[in-house]
Amino acid sequence: MNATQTPKQRIGAFLAGKPVDRPPCVPLVLNHAARVLGVKVRDYATDGRVMGRAHVAAYRRYGQDLITIFTDTAILAEAMGTQLHFPEDDVARVERPAVAEPGDADRLRPVDARRAGRLPVLLEAVRHCVREVGDEVFVACCYPAPFTVAATLRGTAALARDLYKNPSLADALLARSLALVEDFAEAVAEAGGIPALVDPVASGSVISRATFERFALPGIRRGMAKIRSLGMPPILHICGRTATVIDLMADSGAAVLSVDQIDLAEAKAKVGGRVCLMGNVRPAETLLGGTPDDVRREARRCLADAGDSPGGFILASGCEVPLETPAANMMALMEVTRKHDE
Amino acid sequence: MNKSVGADEGRAARREQILAGLASAVDQMDEKSAVQLAREALDAGLDAYEAVTEGLSKGMALVSEKYDKGVYFVPEILLCADAMYAAIEVLRPHLKSGEGAGRATVVIGVIEGDVHDIGKNIVRLMLEAAGFTVHDLGNDVPVSRFVEKAREVGGGIVAASTLMSTTMGNMERLVVALRDAGLRDRFRVMIGGGPVSASFARRIGADAYGSSAMEAVRIANTFSRRACTARTLDNERQP
Repeated sequence: MNATQTPKQRIGAFLAGKPVDRPPCVPLVLNHAARVLGVKVRDYATDGRVMGRAHVAAYRRYGQDLITIFTDTAILAEAMGTQLHFPEDDVARVERPAVAEPGDADRLRPVDARRAGRLPVLLEAVRHCVREVGDEVFVACCYPAPFTVAATLRGTAALARDLYKNPSLADALLARSLALVEDFAEAVAEAGGIPALVDPVASGSVISRATFERFALPGIRRGMAKIRSLGMPPILHICGRTATVIDLMADSGAAVLSVDQIDLAEAKAKVGGRVCLMGNVRPAETLLGGTPDDVRREARRCLADAGDSPGGFILASGCEVPLETPAANMMALMEVTRKHDE
Repeated sequence: MNKSVGADEGRAARREQILAGLASAVDQMDEKSAVQLAREALDAGLDAYEAVTEGLSKGMALVSEKYDKGVYFVPEILLCADAMYAAIEVLRPHLKSGEGAGRATVVIGVIEGDVHDIGKNIVRLMLEAAGFTVHDLGNDVPVSRFVEKAREVGGGIVAASTLMSTTMGNMERLVVALRDAGLRDRFRVMIGGGPVSASFARRIGADAYGSSAMEAVRIANTFSRRACTARTLDNERQP
């Protein structure tokens, strides 16, 4: 195998089970792209052209095998009426949920996935990247799965209480969320991107396996099926701890599971035969706080633990690459797979 | 006489039953039972403070244990806390001032740079249930805000947590800032959260590291006793 595959050829071959020149490496460069371009996070998060340029700049610097467009977990809820606060140079946070009171749920209206809120920002960023570098790299657009959308629509604590005290409201919000998740998948595909779902609120650090199975999994399943129906490989990312639910994640129809705080050897043993695993260099401790040597050591450990996983393995960060991650650490991570087979 | 012994035994049994019921209502996320049992506790002449420390807070200790073991998660913790607070509202008017006064005042917050406050909230709940007066500064709290509040309350415990290794440096700055403000001798500093450890606590000059919510309360209790002893000695020295 000669080392001349582009990231697009490499990921394409890899997901089709064909030979690749080296293992793919996809650190989750999200808001960090703003740093590479040298713009404030708020400008990145609110202007599709800036967001697109940031991701092209990050790709040109790091050469990762997939562009991953994303800014915050509340962007779908925002399209449905949740108000956000945008710090000048940090990720947006929920200020007032659309369904702060249960009665607000009746006022939710269907929204246009191509026009509402900042969804056009993500779509424009996708189109920009596809136009600029789409011949050599796939462009994924990551956005929240229904459970996380519902949490940002209602407020996480309020939704958590609803799960026990008002499950029918939770179900209604999840159904609304799913409808937008499905519509937006189509919009992303039209723009030339790969829709990918993230579900941080469904993390095993936050909810139990029983809650995951009852409230989060059905929406993930439908989302994955939708993405598959568009002819794309469904990617699911859940951060935090996932050991309690990794088998359910693998049953969701996902082709790729991007995981964070889990022993990769354990994940491989449990689900490596069914899905491609992706992970999990620690973002804060290692990528942000470590030295290039620390990064190399940990990346090699990931490859040793899961590089031979039968369903395939993509070296990645466990969660979002922190904003201020030194470029030297990113380069060290990218080098590990480039030199892996030498 | 036999009759009154029997009545005493009956009362003791009833007391145990109510306290166990309060603990279980919190542990089972049963707000309705918690409120009802708090009323029964008052009707049966139980001390309100005891109902909190021997009933509700024992329930919260069970909850914390289940959380640490991965049986309970965030939704369950919230509902257990709701049950505890509903019962405390019933008991509050009957908590005589001065009770629990042997316990130190705690200034608690998530250190600047981090907004993860679930762990801190649980520690706060546990401390409150154990009878501490807690000033909760919330999350993403600047060091200067901790110092300002510490100056206001005058003495006791400062508790800081973080889930992110990126903010650990701010904990060291907190210890330094308390020293610079001349407040360090009047406060015990305890820290907690994912990336910190006992050795980190020692290195930055904090007094203790709590590995769990229960551990945090245990430490706060020992600090409280020492604080009381110190106060007693001071009083004795006064002419």
